[in-house]
Amino acid sequence: MTWDDRLLQFETRRHFFGRCGVGLGRLALASLISDRALFGATAKPSNPMAPKAPHFPAKVKNVIYLFMAGAPSQLELFDYKPKLQEYDGKTAPESLLKGKRFAFMDSFTKDPPKLLGARREFQRHGKSGLYLSELLPNIGTVADDIALLSGVSTDNFNHGPAKCFVNTGSVRFGRPSIGAWVTYGIGSESEDLPGFVVLESGPRGPRGGAALWSSGFLPSAYQGVPFRSGGDPILDLSSPKGITERTQRQSLDAIRDLNLAKLAETGDPEITTRIAAYEMAYRMQTSGPELIDFSKETRQTLEMYGAEPGKSSYANNCLLARRLVERGVRFVQLYHADWDHHADLGQPLDQVCREIDRPTAALIRDLKQRGLLEHTLVIWGGEFGRTPMGEVRERNKVGRNHHIDAYSLFLAGGGIRGGQVVGGTDELGFTPTERIHIHDLQATLLHLLGLDHTRLTFPFQGRQFRLTDVGGQVINKLLT
Amino acid sequence: MMTSMPPKLQILAFLAAAPLAAQPFTPQALSFFETSVRPILKNSCHPCHNQRTRSSGLALDTREDVLTGGNRGPAVQPGAPGESRLLQAVEQTGELKMPKGGRLKDEQIAVLRQWIEQKVPWPDEGAQKRPGWNHWSFQTPQRPAVPAVKDSAWVRNPIDPFVLARLERESVKPSPEADRNTLLRRLSFDLTGLPPTPQESQAFLADVSPNAYEKVVDRLLASPHYGERWGRHWLDLARYADSDGYTIDAPRQIWKYRDWVIQALNRDLPFDQFVIEQIAGDLLPHPTTDQLIATGFHRNTTSNYEGGIDFEQYRVEAVADRVATTGAAFLGLTVGCARCHDHKYDPITQREFYQLFAFFNNTTEIASESERYRFNQPMLDLATPEEQARREANRAQVAMLSRELAEYAAALAARPAEPGDPPKHQDPGLRERVANLAALRRRLPPITSTLVMRDLPEPRQAYIHLGGDFLRHGAPVSPGVPAVLSSAPVTGNRLDLARWLADPANPLTARVTVNRMWQAYFGKGLVETENDFGLMGAKPTHPELLDWLATEFVARGWSQKAMHRLIVTSATYRQSSRHRPDLEEADPYNRLLARQTRLRLEAEILRDAALVSSGLLTPVIGGPSVYPPIPEGAMAITQVKRAWPTATGPDRYRRGLYTFYYRSIPHPGLALFDAPDATAACTRRFRSNSPLQALTLLNDEAYIEFARALAKRILKDAPAADAARLDYAFLLALGRHPKPVERDRLARLLALQRDEYRSDPTSASLLVVKEQVFDSSPGGNRDLGETVDPKQVPELAAWTALSRVLFNLDDFLTRE
Repeated sequence: MTWDDRLLQFETRRHFFGRCGVGLGRLALASLISDRALFGATAKPSNPMAPKAPHFPAKVKNVIYLFMAGAPSQLELFDYKPKLQEYDGKTAPESLLKGKRFAFMDSFTKDPPKLLGARREFQRHGKSGLYLSELLPNIGTVADDIALLSGVSTDNFNHGPAKCFVNTGSVRFGRPSIGAWVTYGIGSESEDLPGFVVLESGPRGPRGGAALWSSGFLPSAYQGVPFRSGGDPILDLSSPKGITERTQRQSLDAIRDLNLAKLAETGDPEITTRIAAYEMAYRMQTSGPELIDFSKETRQTLEMYGAEPGKSSYANNCLLARRLVERGVRFVQLYHADWDHHADLGQPLDQVCREIDRPTAALIRDLKQRGLLEHTLVIWGGEFGRTPMGEVRERNKVGRNHHIDAYSLFLAGGGIRGGQVVGGTDELGFTPTERIHIHDLQATLLHLLGLDHTRLTFPFQGRQFRLTDVGGQVINKLLT
Repeated sequence: MMTSMPPKLQILAFLAAAPLAAQPFTPQALSFFETSVRPILKNSCHPCHNQRTRSSGLALDTREDVLTGGNRGPAVQPGAPGESRLLQAVEQTGELKMPKGGRLKDEQIAVLRQWIEQKVPWPDEGAQKRPGWNHWSFQTPQRPAVPAVKDSAWVRNPIDPFVLARLERESVKPSPEADRNTLLRRLSFDLTGLPPTPQESQAFLADVSPNAYEKVVDRLLASPHYGERWGRHWLDLARYADSDGYTIDAPRQIWKYRDWVIQALNRDLPFDQFVIEQIAGDLLPHPTTDQLIATGFHRNTTSNYEGGIDFEQYRVEAVADRVATTGAAFLGLTVGCARCHDHKYDPITQREFYQLFAFFNNTTEIASESERYRFNQPMLDLATPEEQARREANRAQVAMLSRELAEYAAALAARPAEPGDPPKHQDPGLRERVANLAALRRRLPPITSTLVMRDLPEPRQAYIHLGGDFLRHGAPVSPGVPAVLSSAPVTGNRLDLARWLADPANPLTARVTVNRMWQAYFGKGLVETENDFGLMGAKPTHPELLDWLATEFVARGWSQKAMHRLIVTSATYRQSSRHRPDLEEADPYNRLLARQTRLRLEAEILRDAALVSSGLLTPVIGGPSVYPPIPEGAMAITQVKRAWPTATGPDRYRRGLYTFYYRSIPHPGLALFDAPDATAACTRRFRSNSPLQALTLLNDEAYIEFARALAKRILKDAPAADAARLDYAFLLALGRHPKPVERDRLARLLALQRDEYRSDPTSASLLVVKEQVFDSSPGGNRDLGETVDPKQVPELAAWTALSRVLFNLDDFLTRE
């Protein structure tokens, strides 16, 4: 039972403090207000993050979304296209490009673009024989756990709006993000940590910033809490210099007592929410440092991830993500930059793949070993894909432009049938063979959490809004 | 007069007027329509194309509908079947094939052809109205009579009978008046956003005259801080921020607009003029600089100039945002819903959305890649005399150095090369001169400017965007306003739109505005859906009061101050905010207004309250936005790293509304307490209540600084006895004396903290001895930079801990 539940249950002050005293354990509960009756009114506290029942039984409890900011090239990583190899260097057929729009159109359309075969080799992996790039040898070892979505389409070809679209279902900034929708829908099971946590790594933050984990028009309690990769994981988590542990606790006791007196005087239920919020803040001060302290992790675990305590890295964030879901945090989103390989699919792509391959595989394996994978959904993917045509910006180098019609993502975890490819693309990797849209991915994610995407709505500006706008169909082929 | 027009225009005018003019049709033609044509329309077209569904914007209910057509343009050209979309569609010869279920019979198509050839006969069925046209909020408010009440002694002004009559009907008594301390604090926060000082409290408590309360109201309305308080409410609607938004989010200068709003409110610029200057100040005859600055209202749109974008897409986004913001701020309607299709609930068509769009579509913002480097235009140059002088000095120096460089280069070119000389372009003298010139150019001082509206000499043609897609142009449209809101057509330019918005006959502007005022005072409006007065919106809880206030607003010359004075002097406003156990069941949401409402202070006001309590506030009004301390690392998540030059002088202690606002990373102290994100008009703020807020108030260095200053103030100003000091501390932070139970609880905390810091002098020093000594720029640094007597350190630390507790109390965070 959570502290907030206990608060919900109190009938009398004595009862409240009695239970509270048990719950808070180590905390001194001396020095309470004088004995006059304090509670005239029945309070109705509300904890916005309290776990709520889903629409139907859920397959998973938690989500770890590994967001690859900048748009990884599916043709170098996942979408194996021998035919494209044959056409390498040939001018792209006009029928392919007619009526299509691309980013950087002006520079792009000067010469007819040439098709570009994959710059990497592919091998089959696992019992399922899933094709994966030589750039992802470690992910290859968990191939039977992952389901590859191929031929995914999205709506906008610029990074910022496209990231916004994947996260909020709209290209316009200001709508609630997936994590906000999920915690609004079913709350979180963590008593000591926020329900929606954002972690970042790579050379720069994702384009779009806080809008990507915004609560939009939902109450702000549901916005993602961006942990910092170094120092305090949460802003203002440490007590200020000179505020001792005892001062902090004694201050919180005084704040609580005086707030209780105010509650008794005014009968305003908002005060009970505030009392609960202050206790959660205090518990976060304790749980936060413990959360980021990797010293209890075995050397084997650290090596599996490639995590180095104290360093800011994707590997550390993957380990932190496992620790967060272990502690009941509902939605963890990692951002890793930078995948925008317009100019060079060589060394820069090697580099970023090296950064993510081992930790991603380690996360899936680690979750599985600990029995967490069966109730956690892991998603790996960017905001769109890249063209089968090459792009030449620098001499002797080649990259790929943005392509929104047919990209790849993968999923693993509870409810997901691993070792399969869902969807597909034509032989050049340009056009999907069946329509799988980002709204479908969002609908599926909610479905796995026991939420019907058409029923998870919020009234705003005169209509009911939802994550999937007016689209979205659960991708049943993905599911067990 | 037709005769005064050039012949070509005459023809155009004739063509424009002809289709809608009443046509006398022969009885035979009308009979043909009724017996042959109407059944086809009814059975084959009407299921999708009626005034309710309007598939593709097209309704076929009236002759006017048919001639106006849908998103693709008119459905028929009378007399010209070959040019009529409707006929093309049913013949299924082109892209458009109708009806969806299958082709009409050839004889039916022939009937439609004949009907068009006969110039579309249709009986005159009178003005057909769309469903919803008679919705209450679309009718101009009529002045209601003030109702009679039994308990007339409770009534203080005409607001009260409206509230009391309802309460009496429900047999509910209003709450008693709040105590005087609470009233003063409530008034001060509501009108100026600042808590009263102890002197102000004393003066009010000592004033026994019958109009003591009204005197305070007048003092607060005359305070320059009134403009800051109500200006910030307006800036929420204006989506004001100091940066461009989207992913690059560079700083922009538009604070002059923010200051214009503050000043306009302080001089009580009539609201109609307030609207006109913001929407179309640039189109007024001989606009003043102030009127140009006011047009910044609609330049608070975000700008995108990320690599690879289509500039036209984001120009269209900005124009659509102006329509949506105009709808939300003045009309209380969700007109943005009609961007991709006709409004699902309100009688607003997609065509009408784009007619509103057409008013805003003519600004000179860039629309293509070739203009990339002038994306934030137009800007109004507002260089101060000093800036002007510096700019001219710089220009003169640049001119001089350029001349000198040219001469040197010429001489260099003329000089024969000696063996051993470097290549001429690497000549050290040349390179030095080039570098000096570049450095001088970079030293061009920053010039004050502000974003304003400016129209193109020739308007851009506006179109319906099919499905809301900026690439898919449908029928062209001209400026206009939703038909249900105006008895006469409104067209022309933004100034015509502004005048229509500010016209007393406009059914919505006054209602929506007084409703938002009410919302600020009671937590929610008389219409709870303050952004939706349409068919799906909430019905007003007190419809007569709303209309009385709306008509009163106009009658008082659109004076906002007069309306504020009216509301806050009502008995309704002066009630206690205590929850009423007797109403928990009957009126849990306080819709009857049988009490006031406790409201958590807004993000900026919370900071202001702490600044006033601690005595640190720098009460300067206006100027460029400032950089108070920000938690370490808070700025680390933007795509482009942004500097945060933390203020060390008086700007460190400016009011919250002056904090520099980056859209991509708002100051955490603002964002965590629900300041709007400035991407769209915010008509009402959330009041969330989260653990992260607790962490900010407990642990943020800014609040420790306030607590330290409050502690020093207590020790310096109050008599040296704990009881007196506790009373003073309470008075400074909460505007009242503590109750005995509160004083006892604080005394116990104080005793514990004294023990703590006496036994741990190191922590005491860390808490109260500042590491950083601020330079004292003009005005000085009020954070008492003086060294603390070492003997005083534990005592000061204990009082700092106590002050910190005061800043975390629900009482401190809440307007009662």
